Amino acid sequence: MSAGAPGRRILVAMSGGVDSSVAAAMLVEAGHEVVGATMKTFCYSDEEVAQSTKTCCGLDGIQDARAVADRLGIRHYVFDVEREFTRDVIDDFVSEYSRGRTPNPCVRCNSNTKFRDLLRRGRVLGCDGVASGHYVRIDRSGGEARLLRGLDGNKDQSYFLWGLPADMLDLLHFPLGELTKPQVRDRARALGLVTADKPESQEICFVPTGNYRDFLARKLLPVHPALSPGAIVDHRGRVLGRHDGYSGFTVGQRRGLGGGLPEPYYVLEIRPDAREVVVGPRHLLDVDGVVVGDLNWLTTRPEPGARLQVQIRYRSPLVPCRIESYGENSVRLAFDGKASAVTPGQSSVFFDGERVLGGGRIRRVTTSSRPSRRTRGSAPAAPPSESRARPPAPRRTGRPAALRG
Amino acid sequence: MPTHPDPLYLDHAATTPVRPEVVEAMAACMTGVFGNPSSGHDWGRQARRRLEEARATVASALGVTPSSVCFTRGGTEADNLAILGLARRARRQGARPHVVTTAIEHPAVDEAAQQAAREGARHTVVGFVEGALDLDALGRVLARRPAVVSCMWVNNETGLALPMDEIAAACREWDVPLHSDAVQAVGKIPVSLTRTPVDMLTVTGHKIYGPKGTGALIVRGGRGRPGIEPLHFGGGQERGLRPGTEDVAGAVGFAAAVRLAVAEAAAESVRLTEIRDAVESGLRASVPGLRVNGDGLPRAPHILSLAIPGADSDTLLAALDASGIAASGGSACASGSSAPSASLSALYPGDTATSLRLSFGRLNAAGQVDRIVAAVAGAVARTRELVAS
Repeated sequence: MSAGAPGRRILVAMSGGVDSSVAAAMLVEAGHEVVGATMKTFCYSDEEVAQSTKTCCGLDGIQDARAVADRLGIRHYVFDVEREFTRDVIDDFVSEYSRGRTPNPCVRCNSNTKFRDLLRRGRVLGCDGVASGHYVRIDRSGGEARLLRGLDGNKDQSYFLWGLPADMLDLLHFPLGELTKPQVRDRARALGLVTADKPESQEICFVPTGNYRDFLARKLLPVHPALSPGAIVDHRGRVLGRHDGYSGFTVGQRRGLGGGLPEPYYVLEIRPDAREVVVGPRHLLDVDGVVVGDLNWLTTRPEPGARLQVQIRYRSPLVPCRIESYGENSVRLAFDGKASAVTPGQSSVFFDGERVLGGGRIRRVTTSSRPSRRTRGSAPAAPPSESRARPPAPRRTGRPAALRG
Repeated sequence: MPTHPDPLYLDHAATTPVRPEVVEAMAACMTGVFGNPSSGHDWGRQARRRLEEARATVASALGVTPSSVCFTRGGTEADNLAILGLARRARRQGARPHVVTTAIEHPAVDEAAQQAAREGARHTVVGFVEGALDLDALGRVLARRPAVVSCMWVNNETGLALPMDEIAAACREWDVPLHSDAVQAVGKIPVSLTRTPVDMLTVTGHKIYGPKGTGALIVRGGRGRPGIEPLHFGGGQERGLRPGTEDVAGAVGFAAAVRLAVAEAAAESVRLTEIRDAVESGLRASVPGLRVNGDGLPRAPHILSLAIPGADSDTLLAALDASGIAASGGSACASGSSAPSASLSALYPGDTATSLRLSFGRLNAAGQVDRIVAAVAGAVARTRELVAS
């Protein structure tokens, strides 16, 4: 089952949140020797972080994780991965935004930092596996370990784990994969864990206030194009107004526009070279396909022509599609119908039913000339963190007044 | 209790177990005496007698008069009291306070000085030259007549022992009050204020087999007490310097711990030096690239600080813990922090090697040396493989 045969020594990533707390507790109950680890990922002396009410991964997170570990009677260590995290996750986050794309830092962390690092350290400590509180499942019934969606459709976090190295899957344990969030909280309360009623962390761990624009402003030169004023143009090239930096925009985001326009406008495209943000009516967000790069496969790569389903945003419905062709570390997918608000930089995750086949990062969309008027929900303005319970409400950025004028 | 079947405690600089004599003294006090030392009746008198006996015991062990002993709730409080107390006094007298510390102070001193700076004080940090405190720089800053100089007696991360006789003489020459955090020195090397004219001394119970949350700030009489402002208000206990109903049993336990630590210091020092030297030479032979921090400098016998290039500190400590060995990185207080240690940066500027602190005490014996060497060498080798992979 998800926790594997008892009697293993397993290193469990404990953020100090309720999910990883219960994951650790379940592994203990299953008879494993459990060692807890909290990764210190960024500088907690940062004023903003110190003053924020963040609920996870911060110093409070370390204290809570330690308290839970003590309660469970397991060892717990704090591992400082700030350097690696900055290099592999934060720098990429900044770089992607500065190029007008919308990254998934949690994906980067899971793919490059968290699990790799824990497995390596676990080996030194004599551990033969690593666990976390993600809502996904590992199916070991066949020859190869398969990554499956979590059973709780509201919490499923498989979208964030497509980048795991395939050969790592067999070493991973996700005890929460068959539970719902309320069940997890009930277990935490029954165990008397201090984290039982801790609120969900909603934001990316290194931008606890959610104001990622301020974060970028601290990381980039103030004169960086991504933070410099530019034009807002419509799909016909007409200048509608000015914005104060394209990093505040995400494709699919609804713009708060005043009167004078016949219908709501959405961000269609970001052109970093021209510092232009292109907006237009919603139906222009609908596209026929997508080119996905930076691929990672958790199974044998499907042949061109194969059918699969793709998830183009966290919590968006699966879109049936067909593999058209492969490029250099990229794949071109043709949707059966249309998909809306496909955002460059976001993860595109490939499924066969509930099984995660792999994924990549969206490079660009492909579209035919005939626009569709079908609409779907608008894309997040800020990148989702993997612990978000609901997609964030679209957030107005920039200065709407400038558009009206 | 540790879960390892054969645990080995090499973290005496972090804290120590309470020794049986201390437990006995405290138990007798807690079961027999409950009065408030400020009360005028018999219960109060009994408590007051125990408290004053404890004060006299501490005073005698450290070579000061009983009235010099101000009981505090530990070392951090004593450090804060000395530094902020003198800085605030100087400010009240109309001068801009000037606080002088060294580059290797414990955060209890360093952050108290930073707080003084936030309150308007000037804060000067005296650095190190080739492992030795820059006495010339100290001399120059003394000429500006600072409100207080604070210099630890033995560094908690490296065991480095500072030349307190010279420092005290220099401060005396300029009539500048000198404070020293001696929590790692008492019971390890000779500490007598009769010999070394330090004006204020921080001592804590839990580093010398006494109870946690106990300690004292020794404020020498004579030559005009420095006139420390209290940090707490409400009641005149401890001559107003540390108001609040006294922890009589804590003071009794603390006093027993100080008395025993000072009485046994010479013999214990010889014993710990043997253990440390044996571990040190064993590790030099079995860990390639090892450096002993403070090598060639005067060191207290209970701390062995090692610089281990190519190993990750967190993982090394976890690996040692897995083999039942308790040690720490720079210091227990900095656990989980990657910030380079200020102490080590002062001694070895620019050095980024992982540091490992083994600190010895009553839970150690010469018979453990081989196991310590093998376990540390093994954990280092495994951790280095991780970094290399």
